[in-house]
Amino acid sequence: MDPNERPSRPPAPPAPALEITGVTRQFGTGDSLVRAVSGVDIVIERGEVVALLGPNGAGKTTLLDMVLGLSDPDEGSIRVLGESPRRAVAAGALSAVLQTGGLLADLTVLETVQVIASFHSALGRVPEVIERADLTGVERRKVSKCSGGEQQRVKFALALLPDPDVLVLDEPTAGMDVTARRRFWDAMRQDASAGRTIVFATHYLEEAEQFARRTVVMNHGRVVADGDTATLRASLGGRTLSARLPGAPTAPNTAALLDGLRADVATAELEVDGQRVRIRSANSDAVASQLLAAGATELEIAAPTLETAFTALTEA
Amino acid sequence: MLFTPTFFRVEVTRQFRNPYTLVFTLGMPIAMYLLFGANAAYATASAGNGNVAFYVMASMATFGTATAMTSLCALAASEVGQGWGRQIALTPLSIAGYTVVKLAVALAFSAISTACVFLVGAVTGARADSPWHWLSVAGIVLAGGLVFGLFGLGAGLALNSDSASAFASIAITLFGFVGNVFMPLSGTMLTIAHFTPMYGYAALARWPITEGALVTAGTGPGGDDALWLVLLNVLAWALLFGALVRYGVLRSRRRR
Repeated sequence: MDPNERPSRPPAPPAPALEITGVTRQFGTGDSLVRAVSGVDIVIERGEVVALLGPNGAGKTTLLDMVLGLSDPDEGSIRVLGESPRRAVAAGALSAVLQTGGLLADLTVLETVQVIASFHSALGRVPEVIERADLTGVERRKVSKCSGGEQQRVKFALALLPDPDVLVLDEPTAGMDVTARRRFWDAMRQDASAGRTIVFATHYLEEAEQFARRTVVMNHGRVVADGDTATLRASLGGRTLSARLPGAPTAPNTAALLDGLRADVATAELEVDGQRVRIRSANSDAVASQLLAAGATELEIAAPTLETAFTALTEA
Repeated sequence: MLFTPTFFRVEVTRQFRNPYTLVFTLGMPIAMYLLFGANAAYATASAGNGNVAFYVMASMATFGTATAMTSLCALAASEVGQGWGRQIALTPLSIAGYTVVKLAVALAFSAISTACVFLVGAVTGARADSPWHWLSVAGIVLAGGLVFGLFGLGAGLALNSDSASAFASIAITLFGFVGNVFMPLSGTMLTIAHFTPMYGYAALARWPITEGALVTAGTGPGGDDALWLVLLNVLAWALLFGALVRYGVLRSRRRR
């Protein structure tokens, strides 16, 4: 900002929702030293909805634990709304839905919510939160009698109690069936549009796609990609097609087909092995119809597993 | 934040729903008292400043309190080691606040257990020379119970599983048998008993009545314990249990 245009000093811009700077966390010593998180930098502005995507063991939970102040980084710093994570938690500005487990089995749903509410001095919010988390009707049920999805909703209710500015979700839909998953994200969408900053870890690419405008991809403790989810999807979303060609690769019809496919911008890779062709393409449907129209047989289409996609990202 | 009445209320209700807690901290001491105290042939015989029924009642109060303190503190520790501790770490409640409430619940249960045993004792013939004897015994029972709170905490931290609490209360029953709490021991068993954790605690709780005199199963005098010896037992076990807590803390920290 040009100071000449503004004679009075502008107020300091509000601190970002989350500022992770050079964070490293390792476990063990000597030969068994594991770098769970290694030199991670992420800045998330207020109101953003960000997916943290990565395979199991990528360091997502370790990173989120540090964001929540449950453990401390060995190196680097983490600020939540300009404060330390523990202060943000104590002030009720930061809360989380933790991974499965973490509830007392012999308490009822209502007791669980009341106990945590009392710590936040938020007993008055209990009825509202029960309703928001879709727990009406199961309040008197013991946690041990609740389904996995209901237990996740209980934890969601606990996270809503302090009415936080920043909400962290660590694989929030683990153990939920498809319907429960959809309902959960519908509730989250309402929150996001109300201006809450939401950061969630997942290993479902679809959840990132449907819910987060921005996705941070982690693998082996590092950030391997950080950007617009749609862009990322294009780079991760290609499918591999494999088919038996209608004739030898040198036959005129087949050669023309191959040349056409090679020229396609969506084609990322094309390999011919004898009479079989393997193509990686972002536009698999079009390639499939071209192949079939040309008389190719034994067509197979495979979506890339996240593991292979991450490996590709790390090696790039 | 240190204390929330809601947390205290829910925790107490929760233990009243737990059949295990009810049987071991409320049912067993009363049953043992009725068995070895009220219905024994020597119930009305003198045990010093009170009768034998009172002596047995005091012993059973130490058993109930030790069990309550041990199992509830073990439960508190293993809960924190599991996911519930992470859930609580996401609230303004400090770990000190959590400990205060859990200790208050364990003490409340100990007090309820002691009150129940005393009540049953009062209506079934336990007699002491003055109300002061009742009060001082109750006070020693509750204060000495804190030593077993350390034991429970250490066991819960070191084992960190749901079975920690059950293990710890079974250990207390065992300590009770070898610690001269349930039946008067004699000979070599009595000598060994002096070194076990419940011995000093129970002897101290009975002190206002016995003033150190030992009750034996047979006839004739059973000898005396010196006060310093009884206190030494309590202190030594308090230190040992403190060391167990320290080990448990280190262990649970390493696991993280």
